[in-house]
Amino acid sequence: MDRILRVVIAGEVDAGKSTLIGRLLYDTGSLHNTAISEILQASSSHGSGLEFAYLLDGLEEEREGQLTIDTTQIFCRNTKSGFWFIDVPGHAELLRNMLCGSSYAQAAILVIDATKPLGNGAIRHINVLNFLGIKQIVVVINKLDMLNFDKNAFERAKGETLGFLESIGMKAGYFIPLSACQGDNIVKKSARTIWYKGQCLISALCFLERLHKTERKEGFYFPIQDVYMHQAGQVFVGTILSGKIKKNDLVYVSAQGKQNRVKAIRVFGKNKLSALAPQSIGLELVKKDRLVRGQIIYKDSELLISSEITAKILCVQPIIPGERPFFNCATQQVPCCIKQVIKHFSISTGAISEHEDCLDKQNLAEVFIMLQEKVAVKRFAQLQALGRFVLKRDRGIVAAGVIV
Amino acid sequence: MNSSSYLDELESRSINIIREAYWQYREKLAVLWSMGKDSTTLVHLVRKVFLGDVPVSFIHIDTTFKFKQIYAFRDKYAKKWGINLIIAKNNDALLAGISPYKNRFNCCDSLKTKALKEVIKKYNFKVLLLAIRRDEHLIRAKERYFSQRDKEFNWDYNHQPLEMWEQYYKTEHEEEGHLRVHPMLHWREIDIWRYIKRERLPVIDLYFAKNNKRYRSIGCQCCCGAIESSANSIDKIIRELAVTRVAERLGRAQDKEKEYMMQKLRSLGYM
Repeated sequence: MDRILRVVIAGEVDAGKSTLIGRLLYDTGSLHNTAISEILQASSSHGSGLEFAYLLDGLEEEREGQLTIDTTQIFCRNTKSGFWFIDVPGHAELLRNMLCGSSYAQAAILVIDATKPLGNGAIRHINVLNFLGIKQIVVVINKLDMLNFDKNAFERAKGETLGFLESIGMKAGYFIPLSACQGDNIVKKSARTIWYKGQCLISALCFLERLHKTERKEGFYFPIQDVYMHQAGQVFVGTILSGKIKKNDLVYVSAQGKQNRVKAIRVFGKNKLSALAPQSIGLELVKKDRLVRGQIIYKDSELLISSEITAKILCVQPIIPGERPFFNCATQQVPCCIKQVIKHFSISTGAISEHEDCLDKQNLAEVFIMLQEKVAVKRFAQLQALGRFVLKRDRGIVAAGVIV
Repeated sequence: MNSSSYLDELESRSINIIREAYWQYREKLAVLWSMGKDSTTLVHLVRKVFLGDVPVSFIHIDTTFKFKQIYAFRDKYAKKWGINLIIAKNNDALLAGISPYKNRFNCCDSLKTKALKEVIKKYNFKVLLLAIRRDEHLIRAKERYFSQRDKEFNWDYNHQPLEMWEQYYKTEHEEEGHLRVHPMLHWREIDIWRYIKRERLPVIDLYFAKNNKRYRSIGCQCCCGAIESSANSIDKIIRELAVTRVAERLGRAQDKEKEYMMQKLRSLGYM
């Protein structure tokens, strides 16, 4: 019961994402009685059939407009596992909401409309999943009820999707023929697709991993979030990103890499002898150096400490040449500028942007960033929490980035 | 993953979010405490954040229509935990005779939302911590961890900012607006009860069944209905929640009066 996987449902506008989540909730018995009667009531007041999308599109504007505006998360359970399903909008102008929801996901269901596979919306979402490093992908070929559950139609859509995924270096563990609105191959195999020998959707989801395998062995990294004053002195509080720490351990502090030693590990009401990720703790150190938010306490030396980084960024706002946004990675915040755009393209169409230096929203770009001070980072592939960052202007995020 | 490390993860994320808000706003931060199971858990998390003495204020919005057990619980634990508690009441509306028996929407809006407006103006709070969860209500599921309200308390739910990778929206003292922070958005009802059990937190006895009735969600006495249940202990509540098909806030009148009442209340600044 405690193994909860966060799964984003991605795909084209109107490919049936919200309907699929609604169907999963309904067929697994995860819905409240009141939710069922609310959908029935709301569906009839809108003059349409049973609208599963109503379960998630809770805003009046969403129901009236029959579209998903903002992301939402809803819990679903079957006998073996629990899931948070993350609904995201498909419209291009709502990319920031899609990115927000997807950033929590450990896996994705990619919903492909069998009647019109791979439009710009599907391509956009696949590019976002790839950017976020989501490796566990389940592709469902939806709306097969409209094509008489034709095997060839499924194979065509599968081939097209697989071709695109492979062209950008992605894989998918499953391709499942589906009708979300009629419930085929959702929680049990459908008699209408006897030619399909694989898993139904919920079984496939139960096979997915809950943790990032690569990150289990990572060293100890602890970004200082704040400094609290206590009778005993300074306590550096924060959340352990990875690894384990023990009392008396030798540690280093970024950016100079100065040595120190753990005097005490503090949590509410007591001291601990050891702590591990992802706990939030307080550290007291032996040497009374004055440390501030943004510095990183770490145990091994594989940290990249530099004022120059190469990264892939996804823009949600245009970034103009010469602009100096803030670079935020974990608790580090440093002004920066994009020194060079190595290459960039639109995530929806793949088209190369015409303006060489100006990064448009929805551009995915490989860039060279100069920072005003040194930061301590890792490659995204090594440790996501220290390999990802956002660029902020005023108060909002203008781009998300991963260090390559 | 065992149950304890799962709860550790939920707890750690909440502590991280509260520390993030406190780092930015310090004593301009206040915590809303209704004495229900969720906000009492939030109070506990806030105490954990500071590892000892708590430097921020707590607000109880008192409509005067609450269960009497709520007041007794409040006074006992505010004292025991050494909490700096501010009690917010809309005295003008109460004198004018506003009550849930006339109009629920106006009552919630006056006695809760307007009382809150007055108190944050008086003390110049810029950030409020609220114990709402995604799994309580469809509209709450649309929330961000950090969510701006303008000076009229409006929530611009159609243009919410991007929030990802523990990088949240923050404001530099926007004129008269405030920020809502929701550190427990990712908790489920059953998680709350498992955590209450693990941390041995006190809860009001209205949650436990008497004569086959109990409250799953509590607030004002007049607007809360009890559910059929025989769960008279935390363990039994956890077992009940694992199989129930009944919604948590079924007994809460303001959630379902009309299809979008919750959305309208929230867009006006309701919790």
